[in-house]
Amino acid sequence: MAVASGSEAATAPTPDGPAPRRAPGGGATGLLRRFLTLREGSIIVVTLITLIYFALSTTNFFTISNFKTLLPYFAPYAILAAGEVFVMILGEIDLSIGAMYLFSPFLWHLIHHAGVPIYPSIILTLAIVCAIGAFNGVMVAIVGISSFVATLGMLFVLDGLTLVTSHSTPITTPGTTTIGVNTFAQIFGAGTYSELFWALAIVAILQVGLSLTRWGIFTVASGGNRLGAAEAGIRVNAVIIRNFIVCAGLAGFVGILEAVRVTTATPDPSGSNDILFQAISAAVIGGTLLKGGSGTVVGALIGAIFLGILHDGLIIKGVSANYLDLYLGIAILIAMAMNVYVARVRRGSGRG
Amino acid sequence: MAEQAFAGEHIVGPSSAPDDVLRVEHIAKRFGPITALRDVNLHLRKGEVLGLLGDNGAGKSTLIKIICGFHKQDAGTMWLKGEPYEPKSVLDARGHGIDTVYQDLALIDELSVYHNLFLRREQLLEPTPFLADRKMRRQSRKALDEIGINIPRLDVPVARLSGGQRQAIAVARTVSSEADILLLDEPLAAMGAKEGAMILDLIARLKAEGNVSIIMILHNYVHVFAACDRVSLIADGVIALDKPTNETSVDELNEIVVEEYRRARLAAQGANGAGAGGGGDRTTADGGARPDAAG
Repeated sequence: MAVASGSEAATAPTPDGPAPRRAPGGGATGLLRRFLTLREGSIIVVTLITLIYFALSTTNFFTISNFKTLLPYFAPYAILAAGEVFVMILGEIDLSIGAMYLFSPFLWHLIHHAGVPIYPSIILTLAIVCAIGAFNGVMVAIVGISSFVATLGMLFVLDGLTLVTSHSTPITTPGTTTIGVNTFAQIFGAGTYSELFWALAIVAILQVGLSLTRWGIFTVASGGNRLGAAEAGIRVNAVIIRNFIVCAGLAGFVGILEAVRVTTATPDPSGSNDILFQAISAAVIGGTLLKGGSGTVVGALIGAIFLGILHDGLIIKGVSANYLDLYLGIAILIAMAMNVYVARVRRGSGRG
Repeated sequence: MAEQAFAGEHIVGPSSAPDDVLRVEHIAKRFGPITALRDVNLHLRKGEVLGLLGDNGAGKSTLIKIICGFHKQDAGTMWLKGEPYEPKSVLDARGHGIDTVYQDLALIDELSVYHNLFLRREQLLEPTPFLADRKMRRQSRKALDEIGINIPRLDVPVARLSGGQRQAIAVARTVSSEADILLLDEPLAAMGAKEGAMILDLIARLKAEGNVSIIMILHNYVHVFAACDRVSLIADGVIALDKPTNETSVDELNEIVVEEYRRARLAAQGANGAGAGGGGDRTTADGGARPDAAG
């Protein structure tokens, strides 16, 4: 110690060795608190309430056949939303997933008709789709265009490419031309539970990736504090590009699944925008913030299930088609309000 | 105007010694029209604590960010343990044993305490790609205990912690790394008296062990005289003073900073007649630039 004036501060006693304190609360309240501390807690509650409402107020909601009807209402959106979550955690958004969903079957059709066999043509299609995702990522991370604008541009480019290459006429999906459903089609979307399995598998893998691997840590870090993440040595641009690739790749894949399921693809850009908004709604309802820094893939799945139940339940209740969007919109607003409320309760109780 | 050299501009030469672990020679850095560093010479001896001083915007943080590989200098060379040193990235610098506590702390609010402590150094359950959360939590607890920082729960997001606790985590992250050169950019800024004393104790302990060499940016002269062996003062983009702590005084340090301000004002008056202050080529800004090493 060189000079007198500072030594007083430097020799102040350190406090006693800290002992890790246990979190208070046990038993039922502790369990409830733990549940609500889950980011997905609030949307699970909201979804269960909706489920119970429709189960009690209609007779044929809780049936196997209705469950099968429900599947296509949420499985594709769950996959799209799962990819979007990885972009949203970065604080970015990908508006081109609906257009990608639209474009990929046409791209696949083009490649297949050029003579590429069915499986290689799918792989090639997905490779090109991922390259487009990488392009989105480069525009955002390196060129520095806001993701809203960059992917909005890509949305129109892909819509346009779809119309140009298809000459505005519907196509028959490759691999589904033979009469009856073959094994290929069974796996890629046409089997009753095919899309459900894909959705569950993809959600599981991505949630594990987000919660349990470095990729998840880097994604949250890049979204939460971009400068800080870079200072810590994370290659933020690479993380951004990678996540845009995942998002686009999944959108292209869902496009293929759906085209196989319905055996045709129609060049309908306005329909693809509906898909986009449903997917983003599912992600947001599930608890992923638009401002970035946090998010949940399982939440997006539950958000998609919530939207599916709502849609299906309203139809079963015999709500006129004209009212469907109105009710859907109101329900989304109510669900989000409850979500925010529960989240506020959670933050209050979770403070330790 | 840029040639207003004054005594003490190249002080480094004579006092440097062969046991320098780090030498910084003729470093210059501009951000667009702003000159952050003009010609900086600096050296760090093994086991010493060097205080880096200077007025706000003198370029202290810029110099730290060049040494740690975040920015690339426009001119000048660096030597690490006798070898030429050209860090390509923060990771590269870390590989060379240089680790940094940034002024903005580089903490991720949304991540837990232990994930922040292991940020970009995550431990995995080999051979799987999964994070070894339990192991990281245990080691975090140990590292924080060693420093004497009491943070009751390590699984809460750091957003919930106080400014001092956050700063302690940032310091702990760097101190518990393998690095043997530590760069600390205002490690005491947000701390209360007790936490600050704890960090100064820690630095004294590290110095006693003699394994690490430290460059520390400080504003509080009390801390400077308590913790540092030597001080280097940046003014006008160059090192204006380089002395052992016990050969200088608060008055001398203050005088240089104020003198720089006077010269800048005179220069501005001379340049445009109107004494509106804010001299034309006065060096400013040590942050605010885009992370150009992020790619």
